[in-house]
Amino acid sequence: MSPRLRLLPTAALVLGAIYCIVPTLWILIAATKSKTDLFSTATYLPSFGAGIWQNIVDLSTYQGGIFWQWMLNSFGYALIGGVVASLVSAACGYAIALYEFRGRKVVFNVILACVLLPQIVLAIPQYLLLSKVGLTDSLIGVLLPQLFNPYGIYLCKIYAQSAVPDSLLEAGRIDGAGEGRLFFSVGLRLMGPGLVTVFLLQFIAIWNNFLLPYVMLTSDDKFPLTVGLYSLLRHGAAEASLYSLVITGTLLSVLPVIALFLSLQRFWRIDLVTGALK
Amino acid sequence: MAARNRAKLPYLLVAPAVALLTLFVVAPGVYALVLSFQARKVVGGLLGGGSKLVFVGFDNYGLALADPELWSSIARMLLVALLFIPATVGFALLFALLLDVPRVRLARSTRLAIFLPYAVPGVIASLMWGFMYLPATSPIGGDHVDFFGSTTVFFSVANVAVWGSVGFNMIVIFTALRSLPAELYEAARIDGCSELRMALRIKVPLVLPAIAMCTLFTALASLQLFNEPNTLRPLSNAVSSTWVPLMKIYEDAFVDSDVNKAAATSVLFVFAALAVSFVASRTVSRVNR
Amino acid sequence: MRSQWRLAGALLAGALLVTGCGGGGGDTSAAGGKVNLTFWDWDPNMDKVVDIWNQAHPDIHVTLSNPAGGDQLVSKMITAHQAGNGPDIAKVEYQSLPALVSNQVVADITQYTADTVKDFDDTTLKATRFDGKVFGVPQDVAPLMLFYRTDIFDQYGLKPPTTWDEFKQAAADLHAKAPQVAMTNFDAADPGWITGLMQQGGADWWSSTDNKTWQVAINSAASKKVADYWQGLVTAGTVAKNPSFSPQWNKQMNEGQLATWISGAWAPAQLGGIAPNTKGKWAVAPLPAWTASDKTTGIWGGSATTVTTDSKHAAEAAQFASWLNTDDKAVTAQIQNINVYPAATSGRSLPILSSPPAFFPNQADYYDLVKQVAPSSRSFSMWGPDVTVTFSGYTDKFGAALQNNTSFATALDDIQNATVADMKKLGFTVG
Repeated sequence: MSPRLRLLPTAALVLGAIYCIVPTLWILIAATKSKTDLFSTATYLPSFGAGIWQNIVDLSTYQGGIFWQWMLNSFGYALIGGVVASLVSAACGYAIALYEFRGRKVVFNVILACVLLPQIVLAIPQYLLLSKVGLTDSLIGVLLPQLFNPYGIYLCKIYAQSAVPDSLLEAGRIDGAGEGRLFFSVGLRLMGPGLVTVFLLQFIAIWNNFLLPYVMLTSDDKFPLTVGLYSLLRHGAAEASLYSLVITGTLLSVLPVIALFLSLQRFWRIDLVTGALK
Repeated sequence: MAARNRAKLPYLLVAPAVALLTLFVVAPGVYALVLSFQARKVVGGLLGGGSKLVFVGFDNYGLALADPELWSSIARMLLVALLFIPATVGFALLFALLLDVPRVRLARSTRLAIFLPYAVPGVIASLMWGFMYLPATSPIGGDHVDFFGSTTVFFSVANVAVWGSVGFNMIVIFTALRSLPAELYEAARIDGCSELRMALRIKVPLVLPAIAMCTLFTALASLQLFNEPNTLRPLSNAVSSTWVPLMKIYEDAFVDSDVNKAAATSVLFVFAALAVSFVASRTVSRVNR
Repeated sequence: MRSQWRLAGALLAGALLVTGCGGGGGDTSAAGGKVNLTFWDWDPNMDKVVDIWNQAHPDIHVTLSNPAGGDQLVSKMITAHQAGNGPDIAKVEYQSLPALVSNQVVADITQYTADTVKDFDDTTLKATRFDGKVFGVPQDVAPLMLFYRTDIFDQYGLKPPTTWDEFKQAAADLHAKAPQVAMTNFDAADPGWITGLMQQGGADWWSSTDNKTWQVAINSAASKKVADYWQGLVTAGTVAKNPSFSPQWNKQMNEGQLATWISGAWAPAQLGGIAPNTKGKWAVAPLPAWTASDKTTGIWGGSATTVTTDSKHAAEAAQFASWLNTDDKAVTAQIQNINVYPAATSGRSLPILSSPPAFFPNQADYYDLVKQVAPSSRSFSMWGPDVTVTFSGYTDKFGAALQNNTSFATALDDIQNATVADMKKLGFTVG
């Protein structure tokens, strides 16, 4: 094969990578422009003045620094939700995989059906129900519905089946260990790597969620980043000059997750996801 | 004693998930069903003077199904899905295969770059692409190409969704590729088979389950299309407030203040979505066999 | 098998139990102690005005929050009310007030405002008083006016038009001399804008003769006259199609591609943020008239400060609402920070109004002009009880008409039909 053709796969991949990076790059450039320059200078040339610093200051002082509150909220929801959801999924998956109990089949089938259910369509009925018990516009109201992750349970079941050998549990039982101890010290530990993947999947899902918090929340200090930046965009439709803030906010919201991703690369066990196919 | 503990533990372990399932999946579904059979009517006077909830049977369903906006929104969603699903799965497969080519360079960096959009929320991605589409701020020729035209808007919306989804699907297929034993290729390479022929004849058929699963999940995602059109809406005239079914449901519930009709539409939508998913997953398992 | 069904039944029963239980939220505040009020408002810099109140009233603390603006806030208020956790005080545009009254979100504060109402003329009070009951304290009035770029007009030899015919002519002249500059923009995203123009044209979208039956006339001849006029300008390419405040519109304002902006009297504060480099280049004139020397104009926006039915401290909330809009210090702070033109009669003679807004240093008589125009601004007899349906119909149908070059008059028909159908579905009597 000619040397030029050999580079074709690399070139194609590089094109793909460029396509994926360009929007972030553009946001970076747009964020360097001051409010007045945003709509009056060439769009692909960054400004090297104090534009970006001023934008960050403006964003941080808007409504008393509410942008950083939004950032904190997103992390809070995603972290707490991710951890609790993973534990719930682990417990449920472990039980379904390794025990025979009454109702096991029903529960598993219902959970499988939930995997096929578009979760987002439940957001509005969830809101209506929670409004009857007065739990709307609360952190709990946003967190609780996101603790149930049917796909995570499914993955945990698969993982438990392959990673926790029954023989090990039997040995533990013969030694006199209680079931609960077996779960915590043997089961969870063996499921560790899979749990990290389930956690990361749920973390991203909660981080990216828009409709549920949008519908549930009215106090803007409880908004996650998605809802906050969207509300900033809509405000811009009745009040001038918020576009620079939206752009700067978008940039700042993307950076930490990229950093998180880069550092957690080796924890992604996607073979768990593909392994679940068997 | 160990036997008794054994009998209790699975129930304890399963309880949180089941409780959440009941409270946040089953209960809202039931409540939506209950609401869908009711409607709110004013009791009198020019400004209503109050309102009461009355039972109206299937009226809301009739109203929902007779609403042309609902059908237009379904049609638009299907159009976007027609663009979104093949593009996502196709590019994911392409990039995964390319990454699996032995002499490819920069594999780790490009793989990471393509995976990153997965971590970007759909709303944020729509903001980024939205400004890139606008003539006022576009670096990609937005002042010459109308990204928000009546037909181009479908490509524009689908593009944002594709951008966010290709990476994850690529990794899924790539992982499946990597788990194929190397001996498969040795024989083919000794026979002088080209990379391309190997990819098409050997690799693709063997990762068909992964491809099928990706297709299933992208299909599910396209049913739930909401964030992208909703965020692009303030930026253009081309996206209406009921552009996709979920936007229609939101509009009914929160702008028109008709939660009952919205509940009826939600119930219909859930059943339709479950039916589609069921059919799709049956096809997937048939492919797996 | 039976055990499976039993389990499924248990799940269902659990679900029904949860849906059946009610119970509201709502917090209690200390009896006889400090009163805490929440205030939903989207005015920029309103926090500065609220600070003045909080400093003067340590026993009644007002917390400002900004969850959404305009129509969006109306939706949020209705859903918050259904969940029982709405705010105490909220800014509500006049156009949305009847809808909130009919949804029982906004409270009757007649008993707390007996003195306050004396500071408003009858025309202004008509917007917040229904059936003799007061549902809000008017904050500002926003007569629709013509804001034009003096430098662009000078450059192309244009004079501020006094009639719509002159406006059409000026637009054509401008287009011939400088095709890249549009006379103004047609805003299909803000219904408040078009209703102002409709009001000036003599349309009366909602009215009632006997206080029981609604008359809905969105597609009346007067409305169609206005719609056809603007359709003509859009087709001729002399006006831009971007909504006000959109990014594209922002760019055009900054680059001098829009010669005028038809807007409410609150425009100067906004212009400072939109196109700071055009300071001193703008002037305001009365809106062009349909017949020469007719001073009628419409309104774009204008809001009242309301107390919600969820509030547990209606008296204190009403006190704040009255203070905000009639107290000299408060109104001066509003004019200074938010650039509103006050609804209160006393407010219109405040000393701060003798100098023009910061962005219009070149027009010393700015507020005098507004004061002249304000009394002849007319609104609809009433705003409909489901105005959100009409408004979202406007944005969708006119947006599509702009996009596809179809008829505005047909869009009006569609909006009329949708509004009437919705009102009938809710149980209102429509004549």
